[in-house]
Amino acid sequence: MERFQRQIILPGIGTSGQQKLKSSSVLVVGAGGLGCAVLPYLVAAGVGRIGLVDGDRVEESNLHRQVLYNENSIGSLKVDSAQQVLQRMNSTTQLEIVPEYLSAENVDNLIEHYDLIIDATDNLEVRYTLDEACCSWKKPMIYGSIFRFQGQVSVFNYKGGPSYSSLFPKEDKAVLNCEEAGVLGTTVGITGMLQANEALKIILGIGEVLSGKILIYNMLKNDQQIFELAIQEEQTSKKATSPTIDLISPEVAFEAGGLLLDVRELGEKPVIAWENSIQIPLSVLEHRLDELSKKVKIYVFCQAGTRAMSAAKILKEADFLQVKAVRGGASDILKLIQIEVNSIEKQD
Amino acid sequence: MITINYFGNIAEAAQSDSETLEQTSMSLAELLDLLDSKYAIGKFPFQVAVNRKIVSKQQALNISDSDEVALLPPFAGG
Repeated sequence: MERFQRQIILPGIGTSGQQKLKSSSVLVVGAGGLGCAVLPYLVAAGVGRIGLVDGDRVEESNLHRQVLYNENSIGSLKVDSAQQVLQRMNSTTQLEIVPEYLSAENVDNLIEHYDLIIDATDNLEVRYTLDEACCSWKKPMIYGSIFRFQGQVSVFNYKGGPSYSSLFPKEDKAVLNCEEAGVLGTTVGITGMLQANEALKIILGIGEVLSGKILIYNMLKNDQQIFELAIQEEQTSKKATSPTIDLISPEVAFEAGGLLLDVRELGEKPVIAWENSIQIPLSVLEHRLDELSKKVKIYVFCQAGTRAMSAAKILKEADFLQVKAVRGGASDILKLIQIEVNSIEKQD
Repeated sequence: MITINYFGNIAEAAQSDSETLEQTSMSLAELLDLLDSKYAIGKFPFQVAVNRKIVSKQQALNISDSDEVALLPPFAGG
C-alpha cells in the first residue's frame, strides 16, 4: 500500500477507497490518443482489472499524441505495445487485451464483465453500438471526444441517467475524426485525463459525476462550460420500473426446450429454420405479441444479443414472465441446431 | 442582445466562437432559421442549449434579451 500512500491520505479515499480501486474493473474501448491518456492513470491509481479493445496497429502518424507508443512500436498491435508499457507501470494490474475492433457482434461479450466502460473511440458508429449495449447492460459509459482544439466529456447511462443517443440521436450527417480534422496531443491528453478522473470519482464515490451534463473544454481559451441535459420524464420513469432480464448461453437455451424467438429483421443471415423457432422482428414485436404464448418458455436471440435484451424487456413488460435473452446470437444457435440434426440422423 | 456560442465544426462554419445579435426577442425556431440562412448549420448534427440547458430544437421557446444560446455538435476525434 506504500505506493498508494499519497492518494490514500486524501479525504474521501483512505484504505477503503484503495480497496475499491483494487476490486474495480474498467474496459477502455480504443487505444488511440484518448486511451493513451486514460490508461496510465487508471493503472497507476491501482484499478484492479483493465480491459483494452482495439484492432489498430501503431503508425508513425500516431506518435505525436499516442504517448504510450514509441518508434519501435510502429507496426505492432496497439494493445500489445500498450500492455507492455502498462504492465511495467504496475505489475499487479490485471490487463486484458482484445486485438479486435468493437462491433455489434462482440460488444456484449466485451462489456459484460466490467463495471465501467470508457469510450475512447474515434468513430460514431462504434460509439452508438457501445452506447446501446451499455444501456442494455446498465453500465456507465464515460464518453470523451475531440474536435481540433476542443474536447467533450460526459458520463452516460449512470444510475439511470441519459444515454449518448438521447443527447445526440443518430443522424446521417458528417462528423470529422482526428485524421480528417487534425489534432494536438495535449487536446486528447486533457480530454482523456478528464475521462480517467470521472472513472476514479465513480469508483471512489467522490465528487460530482458528469452525468446528465456535458462538459466542453476549449484548449485555446482555457474555457470550460458545462451544459445540462434535459431530463426526459418518460424515459426516467420507464427506467425506474424496467424489469431485469436473465441472460443465458445459447447451449442452456437450446437444451431447455422452449421456444426460440428470433427478433432479427427479415433477411438477416444466417437464416434459422427449426421446428421450435419463430421469427418476429424487434421492430414489429409489440404489434405481434398475440402470436406468442405466455405459458411456454421463450428464449430471445438476435445477431449479437443487444436486440434480444430489448425484445425480452418488451415481453417482460407485457407479462411474458418465462422470457430470457440469449447471449451471442444466431450463428451459435445454428451450430447447435446442426449438431442436433446430425445426432438425429445418426440415430435413424 | 442575444449571445450565440458556437462549438466544434459549427464554430468553423460561423468562423467565430461567439457572436451577439441585436434582437432582443425571437423564437428559437426563428433564431435557428436565421443561423441556417447565415451559416447553413442544418447540415450539421447538433443540440441547442439556452442558458446552459439543452432544449429541444422543436420546443416553442422564446429567446430574449441577455439569453445565451449555444450550438453543440457531437465530436468524433479521439
